[in-house]
Amino acid sequence: MIKVDLQAWQVMVAHAEAKFPNECCGAMIGKIDGDVKHVISAEPMENAYGGSQGARYELRPEDLLDADKRARAAGLDLIGIFHSHPDCDAYFSKTDLENSCPWYSFVVLSIKGGKFDHANSFLPNAEQTAAEKEELLWPKS
Amino acid sequence: MAKVLIPTPLRQYSEKQDSVDLTGTTVGEVLGALTTKFPDLRKQLFNDEGKLRSFVNVYLNDEDIRYLKKDATPVAAGDTLSIVPSIAGGSAGVAPPPIASLSNDEIMRYSRHLIMPEVGMEGQLRLKNASVLLVGTGGLGAPLGMYLAAAGIGRMGLVDFDVVDFTNLHRQIIHGTKDVGRKKLDSAADTIADINPNVKIERYDTMLSSENALEICKNYDIIIDGTDNFPTRYLVNDACVLLKKPNVYGSIFRFEGQATVFAFPGGPCYRCLYPEPPPPGLVPSCAEGGVLGILPGIIGLIQATEAVKLILGVGETLVGRLVLYDALAMRFRELKLRRNPECPACGDHPTITKLIDYQEFCGIPSHEPPPAPGVKEGEIDVVDVKRKMDQGEPFLLLDVREPHEYLICSIPGSKLIPLGDLPKRVNELDTATEIVAHCKSGTRSAKAVDFLKQAGFKKVKNMKGGILAWSDKIDPKVPKY
Repeated sequence: MIKVDLQAWQVMVAHAEAKFPNECCGAMIGKIDGDVKHVISAEPMENAYGGSQGARYELRPEDLLDADKRARAAGLDLIGIFHSHPDCDAYFSKTDLENSCPWYSFVVLSIKGGKFDHANSFLPNAEQTAAEKEELLWPKS
Repeated sequence: MAKVLIPTPLRQYSEKQDSVDLTGTTVGEVLGALTTKFPDLRKQLFNDEGKLRSFVNVYLNDEDIRYLKKDATPVAAGDTLSIVPSIAGGSAGVAPPPIASLSNDEIMRYSRHLIMPEVGMEGQLRLKNASVLLVGTGGLGAPLGMYLAAAGIGRMGLVDFDVVDFTNLHRQIIHGTKDVGRKKLDSAADTIADINPNVKIERYDTMLSSENALEICKNYDIIIDGTDNFPTRYLVNDACVLLKKPNVYGSIFRFEGQATVFAFPGGPCYRCLYPEPPPPGLVPSCAEGGVLGILPGIIGLIQATEAVKLILGVGETLVGRLVLYDALAMRFRELKLRRNPECPACGDHPTITKLIDYQEFCGIPSHEPPPAPGVKEGEIDVVDVKRKMDQGEPFLLLDVREPHEYLICSIPGSKLIPLGDLPKRVNELDTATEIVAHCKSGTRSAKAVDFLKQAGFKKVKNMKGGILAWSDKIDPKVPKY
């Protein structure tokens, strides 16, 4: 299960809505406590995809490396990646799967008409052939 | 001596250490030392061929080793190696299969699909993970249901409230003679399960309506319209536009058919082609005008082909193209269709934001007035007609059906003048003789009676219920059609 704190969640949703109709992306930092991944802060990152960003995103490894360093410095861990799906559901697409990595939780935020609609979290396998849905808890206002 | 930083999720393989000091003069040597020390890490970082997995990047201090000398990049004392995944993605591409494998039985069943690279294992899994809603299990729904089941669609919803009738059997091949009187849903589900038990069937024993259409359609990837009435066509169209789901459309009449894909994002919808329904009664249904039994096979399978292509993501779909098929000429034609920016459903400023009353929209009263009991002024019951005959009363029984209907069955002693010929042949009739007009069910003969009365005939009556009533009440040897 992955549980997102209010402040981190607000940062993720605001970033996703601000980048609409493009996809956004970023990292989630927190602690792993037994079976529960606890997201304490979220770091918006630049979508580095070269083409149209309406249905694609790319994270710069350097940005992830920096985020990982900052997390370590704060005694926390990089535990997840988030990105948005503008005007479509929060599924884990073939594109998502083929460019994923099995080490992190992948939270997808569905943004419809510029407003947050719903979200899901996924755990891809090492072969990038399937992703398992993970229980996601976010603060509902 | 170099320090390797271990990402959080990999620490379960490094005895929980977040960094490890290792010796080696190149990146390759250090990584080799790492996986020797922690063999479980090898599978995480390297594939079966011993290459770094596609998503694994290695950074020496702040630089990607791909831009240095890769594995041969020299490592000095005090250097830090970081393992960083490369991550990208996006909503592009259909949601991937949650079911990731086929059973051995399924692999054998679908082998002729699997050996084609355009389908292959990936495509077959897409079909298995796909869901399709068939609105209607009649003429079009029959071949659609059977072939889509055989092709390996994972989940199929069937909507029908009707019962199998003898008149369905010349085209609705999903139902057999033994099924007459059964619910079409049950009969269709049995046939599908027999063809392919891997298909999950979901039954909706109801008429698709504004109240239930969104709730039903939202559970499926593709909606296929196999109905033959205008209210349902507009209903399916609007529901698909609202839900952003493709509507695979087909229609049939006599020897001609049409097929296309509506409501695909960016493409036209049914309302772009037909903004308004025709006046009620102008376009006859198959029950009124007839249909070549084979025709729905062709059109239904064009629809099935489009559904499979949409799921596989291969080929050129009928989005923006209307295929017109003429069985007599054996000719296919094609019309280009464009999305109308002014379209009330899918245009730039849509005014249809929820489902409406489609019966009313199509000019059909939502509550049919109940047929008047008994015999109305100007009508005569078949029982009374028979008594007149038996008693030898002089009267003329006038059959106003078409000649080909007369050949199916007729009432002995009747005179055939088709309704359309009546004006020019009215002089064959005598105003002094009592006339009883009949047709198949009483509608056309009512028009004939009106015409004759206007032409000055006083003694004219309409035989209530037509030859169907005659078959029911007087002579069951007269076949119903």
